[in-house]
Amino acid sequence: MRRLAYLVKEAMTNIRLNRTTTLVAVASTAFTLACFGVFLLLYLNLRGVVSSLQDDIKVVVYLHDGLSAQGLSDLQQRLRSEREVAALSYVSKEQALADFREQFPSESHLLQGLGENPLPASFVVTLSPRFRSSEAVKQWVKRLTTVPGVGQVQYSRDWIENLATLVGFIELGAIAVGGILSAASVTIIASTIRLTLYARQNEIEILRMVGATGAFIKVPFLLEGAVLGAVGGLLSLAILRGGFDLFKLQLGPTGRFLGIESWLNFFPGHVSLWIIMAGLALGFTGSLVSLIQFGRASS
Amino acid sequence: MIQLFHVSKYYDRRPALSDINLQIEKGEFVLLMGPSGAGKTTLLKLLFGAERPDDGQILVQNRNVARLRPSDIPYLRRTMGIVFQDFRLLPKKNVFENVALPLMVQGASTFETRRKVAEALKAVGIDHKKDHRPATLSAGEQQRVCIARAIVNSPIILLADEPTGNLDPHLASEIIESFKVINARGTTIMVATHNPQVMAQANRRVLMLEQGKLIADPKAGL
Repeated sequence: MRRLAYLVKEAMTNIRLNRTTTLVAVASTAFTLACFGVFLLLYLNLRGVVSSLQDDIKVVVYLHDGLSAQGLSDLQQRLRSEREVAALSYVSKEQALADFREQFPSESHLLQGLGENPLPASFVVTLSPRFRSSEAVKQWVKRLTTVPGVGQVQYSRDWIENLATLVGFIELGAIAVGGILSAASVTIIASTIRLTLYARQNEIEILRMVGATGAFIKVPFLLEGAVLGAVGGLLSLAILRGGFDLFKLQLGPTGRFLGIESWLNFFPGHVSLWIIMAGLALGFTGSLVSLIQFGRASS
Repeated sequence: MIQLFHVSKYYDRRPALSDINLQIEKGEFVLLMGPSGAGKTTLLKLLFGAERPDDGQILVQNRNVARLRPSDIPYLRRTMGIVFQDFRLLPKKNVFENVALPLMVQGASTFETRRKVAEALKAVGIDHKKDHRPATLSAGEQQRVCIARAIVNSPIILLADEPTGNLDPHLASEIIESFKVINARGTTIMVATHNPQVMAQANRRVLMLEQGKLIADPKAGL
């Protein structure tokens, strides 16, 4: 316990004594994680949007006009028995007309000249969560169009698919940018620790002479790297939070009007913790790389 | 205690030590003499595992140093005390902390550390300066701190490399007297020096090295 306290004290003393290099390492880690965090924020928010849109996917099954009451009942039974269907509501021709008039009051004159109600009856289907993926919906709709009594089947597929593809690209971008910047951060932290190692070469030599094990010598440096990384992670979160709030402020009334503001969310607690842990891991790795290189150079 | 069998060490194919055979008993005080470059430091380095011999075997307390794994070397050094010509004290730590270092790496308790450091500082007569930083001490005082650090752990063997090299004759004499006291308590001591004053004052077994060869050892009949 006393030995651990000594090692922690050594790490903290070293951080205090090497302010400039410490600052560079913390700043570079914070910058790296903030860049990665921007992608992550974008990705998580868009994924949230896509997910909520997919939750709202409704498939409208338009019926043939000549469908008998028995045919309607059979079709309703059949749809209810489908695994893909979570809920089902029937919209009669009359209801469809009433809805149209309510939603588009200025366009209602378009239907006046037609005499007979041209709008078909339909079933509005809410899909089960398990079958909301683009591919599952596509397969089911294809099967549904062959069912007797079913006219057209519509759902807002394309743009949701496009958004999902865009989220996929952002995910890839985040991984690539994160990978490159992480490597850069590890390199910078490794250089910082290496400078410290060379500055403390005599001290390390003395520790070796008095019987210190490799672990005893290395632990303060690993702790130092981990602390620098974690502080960098914390700083990156602060930068991201500031940027995020500023962005929301910039959106102002326009964002509120379009409903964008309600979609935007900062990282949940566990993701914030992961970012700090990522900083810690980067710092630790940087120290480890540096110690391995230093060990090779001094042996 | 210490045995060397046909030990040789080369740097860039040039022999630093050639075919050294040596035996030092427990509790002996041995002086390793010779001019600069004779191989004194190399021999000490071989004993505390900072270098490995290219040929031969080295037994220290029945452990074959030449075959020790790197991870075992720290445990060998914990049974030794090492004194350097340039003191090698940590400038940012005070005298107490410097002397406590060997105990710290072994995880000694606070109570044990305080007791042993106080004893070691008293043994070399520097206990009144335990809160001072090395930079505020004279060369003789710094060397005393270095010796206190070397003996704090009650080592079985004490190795000293030119311990009086940076000291004036009076201080050198005091350091040798300190070694005599430590030796009298049972610690085996090997001091590498080229200072004839040390040889005269110590009046102990002298091993003479020249160009990496052991040319004089009364015990071996050389």
